[in-house]
Amino acid sequence: MSSIFNLAKRELSSLFRTPVGWIVLALFLFLTGTVFVFGALAPGHPATLRPIFGTMTLMLVLVAPAISMRLFSEEFRTGTYELLASSPITSAQIVLGKYLGALAFLIVMLLPTLIHAGVLFLVSEPNPDPGPIAAGYLSLFLFGCLCLALGTLASTLTDSQTLAFLGTMLTLICWVLITNIAPQHVEPEIGSKLAAASYSIRIDDFARGTIDTRHVVFFLSISAGLLAFATTALESRRWR
Amino acid sequence: MIEVADLHRWFGSVHAVRGVGFSIPDGQAVGLLGPNGAGKTTTLRMLTGILRPQQGSISVAGVDALRHPVQSQRQFGYLPESAPSYPEMAVRSFLRYRAGVLGVPVRRRRNRVLAVLAECQLTDVSRRRIGQLSKGYRQRVALAAALLHDPKVLILDEPTNGLDPTQIREARSLIGDLAQNRTVLVSSHILPEIERTCQRVIIIGTGRVLADGTPEELCRNIGSGGCIAEVRGHLAAIEFAINQALPECKLETAPLEEGWWHCTIRPAPKTDPEAPDPLQLTGVALAAAKCPIRLLRPETVGLEDVFVRVLDEAARSTGGDA
Repeated sequence: MSSIFNLAKRELSSLFRTPVGWIVLALFLFLTGTVFVFGALAPGHPATLRPIFGTMTLMLVLVAPAISMRLFSEEFRTGTYELLASSPITSAQIVLGKYLGALAFLIVMLLPTLIHAGVLFLVSEPNPDPGPIAAGYLSLFLFGCLCLALGTLASTLTDSQTLAFLGTMLTLICWVLITNIAPQHVEPEIGSKLAAASYSIRIDDFARGTIDTRHVVFFLSISAGLLAFATTALESRRWR
Repeated sequence: MIEVADLHRWFGSVHAVRGVGFSIPDGQAVGLLGPNGAGKTTTLRMLTGILRPQQGSISVAGVDALRHPVQSQRQFGYLPESAPSYPEMAVRSFLRYRAGVLGVPVRRRRNRVLAVLAECQLTDVSRRRIGQLSKGYRQRVALAAALLHDPKVLILDEPTNGLDPTQIREARSLIGDLAQNRTVLVSSHILPEIERTCQRVIIIGTGRVLADGTPEELCRNIGSGGCIAEVRGHLAAIEFAINQALPECKLETAPLEEGWWHCTIRPAPKTDPEAPDPLQLTGVALAAAKCPIRLLRPETVGLEDVFVRVLDEAARSTGGDA
């Protein structure tokens, strides 16, 4: 457990030691702030953070791969992976430690946006409904978990950060295309199955303020599955 | 302390390690010597759990490394070939992080970091970023990181790679100090490094153990079998006498003062173990030819000669295809 915590701590702090972390953080907060000011705070608009959640979800498709791309690729490229692989920790612990570090960065990134919710409560009359706001943050967190898990897997497969970034981002985009657009053009039976695998439909449900445990399980189980694959990919390096 | 038996490793169709086996007792410093691509790093990577062998067994401090890799990894400290670290981290932060990963208990962590900083003479640079340090210091940082959990076994892969002569001397002295109370396995292709730091040498070539013993044993057993003589007389007579006594020998002569000749005689490899000693044969032949001898002794060879000879022999026996 201590090893996992140490790995997570180093991963989080390393993101703040490199420009990538600061650039991602600044860009994310700048864009969400802009959308908040011109979307949610504009006179006549309903007191809701829905536009921000939509923007943040879209941004996560770009930001999460940027956070996760270096998790393993950088270690492979610089040779520091040898230090990890020869340490008395399992591949699963390595994957979990690094993943939790990236997840901690996501939380650090989301925390300042709570100010937007606070401002909305201060300036709106009547006050906004807290349910959709809480559900929105939960959806962001769960979607972040999934994106980072996918990014972790991509990072274990290559020593190129660029490939890991593109692989994660394109998979997330293809996922939306296959599960949201394709169902309209195929047999209804197949279409309904594809739609059931959609993450964006579930995020829409969260945005409406619905917290469905099936959706929570969907995101968490897929994240866990991707991390299991990442562990297998890492373990397979010992045999290559 | 370390038991390795019949290790095999393929990379695709390349059979990189072919039945490597050795045993290292507690407290011994052993050098793994071999040319580039001989299989040294692959062998060490299998020992440290970075790679899994496709065949064979490894035991470190009595722990089966293939069945219980994590327990086995607790027993050793490993310095990889390029001494990797995180350049953006300060030395102390890096060591604290590594101590955590290596499972050093929280209450002991601070003391262990201070101890290895002192042991590797890094206290003065402990707050500096690793990326700002010279290669020699970075090597020491990586070595310090390998010592954090106070391992019984130290595995060092090319520890002086890329260092300048002063840094090599410092690294060698540091490794020598560390080897006082630990079992050390050092891989290198730099012979003087192994000769000065290790009590025993294992020569690896084409993925096999080609020779194993103390440097003295190897020099004695795999030595040239030749001899050196200083003789006076006509060169033709000297050459004739020696060639008669030792047909197919390699004879090199160099003139000395007042008609004396320095002769280096290297007989062809022995096919008959009962064949007489070339030194004796040379002495008898020269005496019979009435050539005065003022010096006659076996040719002494260094580890470098042994190394070259062992590899040549291996290349010959495998048809030079490995």
